[in-house]
Amino acid sequence: MGLGLLASRAMRPIKSSNFRMCARYIVTKPELQSPESAAAEAPAQPDLPPRTPVGGARIHFPNPEDAIEVFVDGYPVKIPKGFTVLQACEVAGVDIPRFCYHSRLSIAGNCRMCLVEVEKSPKPVASCAMPALPGMKIKTDTPVAKKAREGVMEFLLMNHPLDCPICDQGGECDLQDQSMAFGSDRGRFTEMKRSVVDKNLGPLVKTVMTRCIQCTRCVRFATEVAGVQDLGMLGRGSGEEIGTYVEKLMTSELSGNVIDICPVGALTSKPFAFKARNWELKGTESIDVTDAVGSNIRIDSRGPEVLRITPRLNEDINEEWISDKTRFCYDGLKRQRLNDPMIRGADGRFKAMSWRDALAVVAEVAHQVKPEEIVGIAGKLSDAESMMALKDFLNKMGSNNVWCEGNGMQTSADLRSGYIMNTSISGLEKADLFLLVGTQPRVEATMVNARIRKTVRATNAKVGYIGPETDFNYDHQHLGTGPNTLVEIAEGRHAFSSAISNAKNPVIIVGAGLFERDDKDAIFSAVETIAKNGNVIRPDWNGLNVLLLNAAQAAALDLGLVPESSNCLESAKFVYLMGADDVNLDKVPNDAFVVYQGHHGDSGVYRANVILPAAAFSEKEGTYENTEGCSQQTLPAVPTVGDARDDWKIIRALSEVAGMRLPYDTVGAIRSRIRMVAPNLLHMDEREPATFGPSLKPKCTQKMSSTPFSSAIENFYMTDAITRASKIMAQCSAMLLKK
Amino acid sequence: MAFAARAVKVPPNSASLEEARCRVFDFFRTACRSIPSIIDIYNLDEVVTKSQLRSTIASEIRKNAHITNPKVIDMLLFKGTEELNNILEHAKQRHHMIGQYVVGREGLVHDRDPKDEGISSFLKNFYNSNYF
Repeated sequence: MGLGLLASRAMRPIKSSNFRMCARYIVTKPELQSPESAAAEAPAQPDLPPRTPVGGARIHFPNPEDAIEVFVDGYPVKIPKGFTVLQACEVAGVDIPRFCYHSRLSIAGNCRMCLVEVEKSPKPVASCAMPALPGMKIKTDTPVAKKAREGVMEFLLMNHPLDCPICDQGGECDLQDQSMAFGSDRGRFTEMKRSVVDKNLGPLVKTVMTRCIQCTRCVRFATEVAGVQDLGMLGRGSGEEIGTYVEKLMTSELSGNVIDICPVGALTSKPFAFKARNWELKGTESIDVTDAVGSNIRIDSRGPEVLRITPRLNEDINEEWISDKTRFCYDGLKRQRLNDPMIRGADGRFKAMSWRDALAVVAEVAHQVKPEEIVGIAGKLSDAESMMALKDFLNKMGSNNVWCEGNGMQTSADLRSGYIMNTSISGLEKADLFLLVGTQPRVEATMVNARIRKTVRATNAKVGYIGPETDFNYDHQHLGTGPNTLVEIAEGRHAFSSAISNAKNPVIIVGAGLFERDDKDAIFSAVETIAKNGNVIRPDWNGLNVLLLNAAQAAALDLGLVPESSNCLESAKFVYLMGADDVNLDKVPNDAFVVYQGHHGDSGVYRANVILPAAAFSEKEGTYENTEGCSQQTLPAVPTVGDARDDWKIIRALSEVAGMRLPYDTVGAIRSRIRMVAPNLLHMDEREPATFGPSLKPKCTQKMSSTPFSSAIENFYMTDAITRASKIMAQCSAMLLKK
Repeated sequence: MAFAARAVKVPPNSASLEEARCRVFDFFRTACRSIPSIIDIYNLDEVVTKSQLRSTIASEIRKNAHITNPKVIDMLLFKGTEELNNILEHAKQRHHMIGQYVVGREGLVHDRDPKDEGISSFLKNFYNSNYF
């Protein structure tokens, strides 16, 4: 809410002299009683300066003849039919104060803060709930509207505690901002303020329920977006309070978003409590890497410390929500960090050493083994630049056994449509049928799941699911657990196959967990048969999707990080792990030399012979491609820890020490190298659709096994090195996961 | 005292580069002549020889060899004279002398490997810090 705008409007001189009196009496006058008299004295102004919509809002007319014209403060605006008065005001560039209204939630209309005056209506109307009618004359800064808002504010502040100095919302509080514009300078209430018992909503959300103003945004968010019916409104009148009725934790993977939508300090972040004030923080616009969605985030830091992560608006990816893992993983950036190059001594303990010596040791060992015994594995958090450098370095050494963990050993990177989400995340909203094959979007990609839920709620889309028993927060049909069901649908023996053919915009989502299966090609060819029979891929609609698991996967396949031989790890003598912690290192022979380059002392370190400390995603500039093929960039928010270096710089330096110098010295140079391999990675914030469909694929002769699909993610809260090091994520998995 | 008198006197500007050049040589000679007393004042005879100090002075002067503006040379000369006076006045302590003129700017820890000779500037910067 633009505080300056509100304040300037509130301070505008008022013609009536009653308001100029030193003592502020609460008075009523004829023009306050009847809106007509106020309207009559203001003649229509012909030359009004053009206004810009609030927040650069754009309107989309689905049907041009449905446009209606209304007048906001005498300024005519064209809006589509069905807009509310509040939306019309926003298009006209007038920011209406509000508490309960939120553009992504249903309309409650219970805070009454958005009252405006409408000509010919006897009372001020709540603009958020009133549909705009053609020719409506809306007045937003008349004495009546101002008086009405002042009244509402006085009632809200009646029971709101005066604890702004100890409130975490202080500085970014809607109530604080609006009371500067509409609040009275003194109270008229002498009674005690109401107090409400705090609720325990789990390890993430701190509640101070006395501060609650009953806007019910959190209740509507929980039921509509998160899909948990836990929160509700209890009691009546002054006894009204938000709660769960029976003591219950909020077990949703989106629960952190209630912190953002709460207009006051009733729901705040528990890990962030009393850590910082929002004006001390430096915000860095970055990208989340804990899953493959690439949610847009802002990293708030103070000095060298990341203090919180909040969402950024991106309509195509995460709207304005982020998952709890994204929001609260940041304390993992402070624990278990690697800060010095280290080498394992004869006694099995690590000893710190200089970069010069560490690189010399690694280069020497790399030259002693045969080229085909060199293996490189990129981790799930790697950026495109470092993966490019790793592949170039290993190729120069003569080895082509380089891949990204999670992609499996036989994944083909030939057809881009075979590993990205072709429908795009926002495109899922057009679908009317979903078939989820071996994927549990709720834990694998929370924001994609939120999109599916939005679609299911809006259009009653049908959801079919093949895979192990799992939780969904929308209606679904559990079709089966394994490939057998898939074959039945492909051969048309299943009832769901006719549903696919009847659907207008069917969507099939295949989980990337299937990449690890040996019969992956057979499963994908079965899925492609279903897509062909159900007319899922048309010129105007591509409904065949792969939902990836990790931030690095799409870029790795775009850059061609595919191993040459599938059992190279068993015969490896030199293994270069670039942040790879989830590969099965038991297969590595005992005499192999393992280099671990990464930022956390996670499972990869236990087997490593040399550790090279690298920067985490919050400390480097890196390109990531999300599951729908949209390249985005992280920016450094905090400095690196200790003697750590950026990933690509380490590999560039190592290549020189090893005498195989890579030809790039700057990020710009490495990006021009990427341009030669995968130019789409340089088209920032732009989704690059795949050019060719799966019809070009050769026929698959593989035999499908009947092993049921397994779940790709065991613990939603701990999937990578950062989240495994996080204390908050450990608390969440202990308290919130269903046992 | 002689050095005090020298310190007060500010010579007029050099009229030409040639004159400035002569003054530099004069200054170098003065500095070299005061080396024995410097070694005496600061007990430097166990850490450094006269010829080493002479070459340090020469290299400090050669650092500015590229300067052709006589005014700038005069200014640098003035600074050098001042520094020399401070040293002769015992305004410094022994560790200042050792730190600045015996060990040098690189410090005691010689992190230079003979193998580092042919490395690129990228690698040199990489060994120093992550930010370059």
